[in-house]
Amino acid sequence: MSAPNALRDLVARDLAPARPLAPPAVRALALVPIAAAIVASVPALYELRPDLPSIGALRAFGFSIAQAIAGVAIVAAALRESVPGRQWPLAQVIALVAGGLLMPLLLPGLAAQAFDVAPPPAGAVPVGVACFRTSALAALPALAASALLSARAFPLRPAVAGALYGLGAGLIADAGLRLWCEFSAPAHVLAAHLGAVILSMALGVAAALVSRQR
Amino acid sequence: MTEPHHDELEALMCEYLAGRIEAFDGLYAALGTRLRAYLLSLCRDSSVADDLLQETFLQMHRSRRTYQPGRPVAPWVFAIARHVFLMHRRGSARRVRFLERVAAAVGADDMMRDDRRALADVDAVRRALRAVPADQRRALVLHHVEGWSFAEIADRLGIRLNAAKTRAFRGMRRMREQLK
Repeated sequence: MSAPNALRDLVARDLAPARPLAPPAVRALALVPIAAAIVASVPALYELRPDLPSIGALRAFGFSIAQAIAGVAIVAAALRESVPGRQWPLAQVIALVAGGLLMPLLLPGLAAQAFDVAPPPAGAVPVGVACFRTSALAALPALAASALLSARAFPLRPAVAGALYGLGAGLIADAGLRLWCEFSAPAHVLAAHLGAVILSMALGVAAALVSRQR
Repeated sequence: MTEPHHDELEALMCEYLAGRIEAFDGLYAALGTRLRAYLLSLCRDSSVADDLLQETFLQMHRSRRTYQPGRPVAPWVFAIARHVFLMHRRGSARRVRFLERVAAAVGADDMMRDDRRALADVDAVRRALRAVPADQRRALVLHHVEGWSFAEIADRLGIRLNAAKTRAFRGMRRMREQLK
């Protein structure tokens, strides 16, 4: 079977040497400086959590860095998803998303003295809004970088790729925020922290779908 | 016709990435027949399959940078082919909806019957395929639809060669029963 002349001519006219994209894990390393900057800048711009002396710097920074690394790993998974023929099976997508969404819930418990450290009732809403807004804004640089990296490949399921890199970017941002926020009460964690990560996922889906339209 | 070894395909793909049109010819010769059979199995229309085959090679050309040297070529190309088919199907569904609206407007729905019948056949096959157990379905689709050899399937699924053959055979038998 030989290529039709019209197709062959079309390809021949456009055929220039092309450098293949690096493997997804290597491309995801571009996120490491962004993740480091986010993790470092949140406490630098605001302040370190007040219970840091009692929980210890190693525990506070250790879990945050672990979550940021998990975020970069999930972005790597999204970049793999963006390569034809390397899409994740549905069960693994579900496992990645479930595991990623569990991290912001587990981290406060692991890096806090108690599960129910809540902001004072009068300040619950402003503190929640501040955490949500800061986390959502902090996710944007990683989200934009991941979206660009994914769009350079050829995501055949853009919504899945977008959800994964949005989740990764959200986790990176939340990792930084956890160095500032000491509250571990379920209502605060679910609404402010997990909510921001879910918003980042939704933005990732939207970005991936928009870039596909183009 | 003997199927090209994946090392040969990889070598062709690397030459193609280096900008050699002869490598494109080689890839077309090596993959065209299998891809056309795959696309034909999806769309069940010979002329559409020919169009989709060309579109697949065009998409492959546009996204050739996403091929990662050292990885098998066939899954990459077949994923692109499937995407091309899905885009075509989405466009067809839009066309059918458009025809339905036109038919409703002019009160003549005869023109849509053929399109509806074709879609009904595709649905019947899809339903039958869904009734096949997942492990058998995977082997069946990889072999009978995507044209993978049993050795490749065994390698990909991490099972023995005979298990790959048995799964595909049982899956096909189950599907035939469903379609009766």
